[in-house]
Amino acid sequence: MLSIRDLRVEFAMRRGVLTAIDGVSFDIGRGEVLGVVGESGAGKSVTGAAIIGLVDPPGRVADGEIRLGGERIDGLSEDEMRAVRGRRIGMIFQDPLTSLNPLFSVGDQLVETMRSHLDLTAGEARRRALALLVEVGIPAAEERIGAYPHEFSGGMRQRVVIALALCAEPELVIADEPTTALDVSVQAQILALIKRLCRDRGTAVMLVTHDMGVVANTADRVAVMYAGRLAEIGPVSDLIDQPLHPYAVGLMGAIPSLDQDARRLVQIPGTMPRLSAIPGGCAFHPRCPQAFERCAARRPPLVAKDGRTVACHLYDGSAEAAR
Amino acid sequence: MNGSPAVELSGVSREFDVSRPWLARVVAGEPRRYLTAVKDVTFAIERAETFGLVGESGSGKTTVARMVVGLLPPSEGRVRIDGVSLTDPGSAAARQRFRRRIHMVFQDPYASLNPRWRIERIIAEPIRAFGLARSNEEVADRVDELLSLVGLHSGDRFRFPHEFSGGQRQRVAIARALASSAELIVCDEPTSALDVSVQAQILNLMRDLQDRFELTYLLISHDLAVVRHMADRIAVMYLGRVVEIGDGRTLFQSPRHPYTRLLLNAVPDVSTRGRPDAEIAGEIPSPIDPPPGCAFHPRCPLAFDRCRREVPALLDGVACHAVHEETVAA
Ligand SMILES: Nc1ncnc2c1ncn2[C@@H]1O[C@H](COP(=O)(O)OP(=O)(O)OP(=O)(O)O)[C@@H](O)[C@H]1O
Ligand SMILES: Nc1ncnc2c1ncn2[C@@H]1O[C@H](COP(=O)(O)OP(=O)(O)O)[C@@H](O)[C@H]1O
Ligand code: SF4
Ligand SMILES: [Mg+2]
Ligand SMILES: [Mg+2]
Repeated sequence: MLSIRDLRVEFAMRRGVLTAIDGVSFDIGRGEVLGVVGESGAGKSVTGAAIIGLVDPPGRVADGEIRLGGERIDGLSEDEMRAVRGRRIGMIFQDPLTSLNPLFSVGDQLVETMRSHLDLTAGEARRRALALLVEVGIPAAEERIGAYPHEFSGGMRQRVVIALALCAEPELVIADEPTTALDVSVQAQILALIKRLCRDRGTAVMLVTHDMGVVANTADRVAVMYAGRLAEIGPVSDLIDQPLHPYAVGLMGAIPSLDQDARRLVQIPGTMPRLSAIPGGCAFHPRCPQAFERCAARRPPLVAKDGRTVACHLYDGSAEAAR
Repeated sequence: MNGSPAVELSGVSREFDVSRPWLARVVAGEPRRYLTAVKDVTFAIERAETFGLVGESGSGKTTVARMVVGLLPPSEGRVRIDGVSLTDPGSAAARQRFRRRIHMVFQDPYASLNPRWRIERIIAEPIRAFGLARSNEEVADRVDELLSLVGLHSGDRFRFPHEFSGGQRQRVAIARALASSAELIVCDEPTSALDVSVQAQILNLMRDLQDRFELTYLLISHDLAVVRHMADRIAVMYLGRVVEIGDGRTLFQSPRHPYTRLLLNAVPDVSTRGRPDAEIAGEIPSPIDPPPGCAFHPRCPLAFDRCRREVPALLDGVACHAVHEETVAA
């Protein structure tokens, strides 16, 4: 459904060009949920923004290809891209208020969005809007269809946003931290809803989050990003039970879990580099407990290993060669 | 030192007046409105233990924390530190001692660190304020020692808070808490704004410092895994009340209150992969107008008549009619 190859996003700053996304490639299939995880600044949101053609200037997609249903969507004009957003790609962000217009009732917004993308009469659109609100679990939807965004609680607003993202039956939904601002009980409801609706419709989902627990319970596959690059991508069970990339290993060990009694958490020394100071070779090598000479010298390519794709010299044959 | 717990709350409640401004209220003919943020909370924290407080937002965790450190007086009930009441008029001298011994670390350390002060001055301030060093050299040595304790460099003393990352600022806040030789540190969401790798560093640091200085922690978080990892005992709050309290492992392995069960079913955790999605009903009601009886009853799968009428007491670590009646029947 979605296919990204060698994506590169640059920000032209006064002091030089910063590369925020560097050679990222992945696919998401029909009805599949891809979790994109990584720490703050890893490039998760910029990747999402690149797909929908909304990278803030001075940023731009400098290289690579983005295809949706086989067709290239990078490099479309702003008008063409606007037709893709909403129609073919739905969006859900952390703060539902950024997706909702405070001046219109939720019903009007749904009707408006559907009619601008689909060939529907006002009456049909209204009926569908109501059905959608019921489907996303708004209680007494018939009475509340005329209500304004501020009249809903945070969790209910996010449900409205989901209805809005799905109303034109998009092929792909990009959800960027959709539940980060919500309490766990509401988060569980919202995640279950996104999963169910997308599975029923065959919608592909890119779920951006910093929460491994969310990914473990929602995604089919996971992509771990570090400093604008892909570290590892693969099925969620493999990545969680047995991560390969040392950064993914550290990340998993750093997370306290409900069923463990460990006295200490794994500590990854240092912090993620700034974009202006990304180390040469493997960007993770200064923090990596397993780094060897090659890691500082050469950037590891993405290679296939045990059903995943991983960018680390430990797995591309150079570790044995060095021995 | 005496035999009493480090912290003891008995029947503590706190209300806030959330009425609209006087004129608007009079014009609209509205009565005053009160919000009960904390209701009838009783628990004790032993020395050198980590006591965890969990609950979703608005459950009253921060309000409890503020009452424990004395930033907010309770509307009812009593907070005792080392057996001495914070509100007793007679214990002004004792209160001055507590001020030094209790410290609070907040979610956003930036808000609690003076942005115009260098790190050195921020950490030295409690040392000077409480007269904990005799000379400037001694102060400087102590600041150095504290910086290295929390994993910062001696050279960092000349920098300003904005020059640090979130995790480093949290280290500064912890160094400052230690500067006053605090024995009780109240941490309100200390790592909620941090990335997991940085969170791991801070949690490990808190553990190490506790082992070294026998610190007592009141750790507040909405992240159950963090609390599970750190706390010896845990209290779960819902709409201002403690609904279940117990030792961490038991509480997580065999939760008894239906709300604790709901929370544990809702938490996405790496250990729960593949678990079917939990059926979770409803949202947290408004604390201004909480449901009568057990405030959880509209969402509770076990609710029966009595739950709608009568507030369940916290008996044997759990406040739930269904659990109590089952225990009696058994
Ligand atoms: N408008 C911009 N100008 C310059 N740099 C930018 C801009 N937007 C993003 N960046 C940089 O790109 C990098 C990736 O940012 P991005 O927002 O994708 O991170 P993220 O993984 O979504 O992090 P978070 O978890 O904090 O949301 C960061 O270093 C960020 O500072
Ligand atoms: N100063 C205040 N004035 C009015 N209401 C308050 C005040 N402080 C807290 N509250 C209310 O008390 C309840 C409990 O809040 P809080 O203790 O901050 O919860 P938590 O930390 O668990 O999220 C909330 O409904 C909150 O809005
Ligand atoms: S007291 Fe009743 S409503 Fe409250 S948790 Fe127990 S069974 Fe449920
Ligand atoms: Mg982001
Ligand atoms: Mg709080």
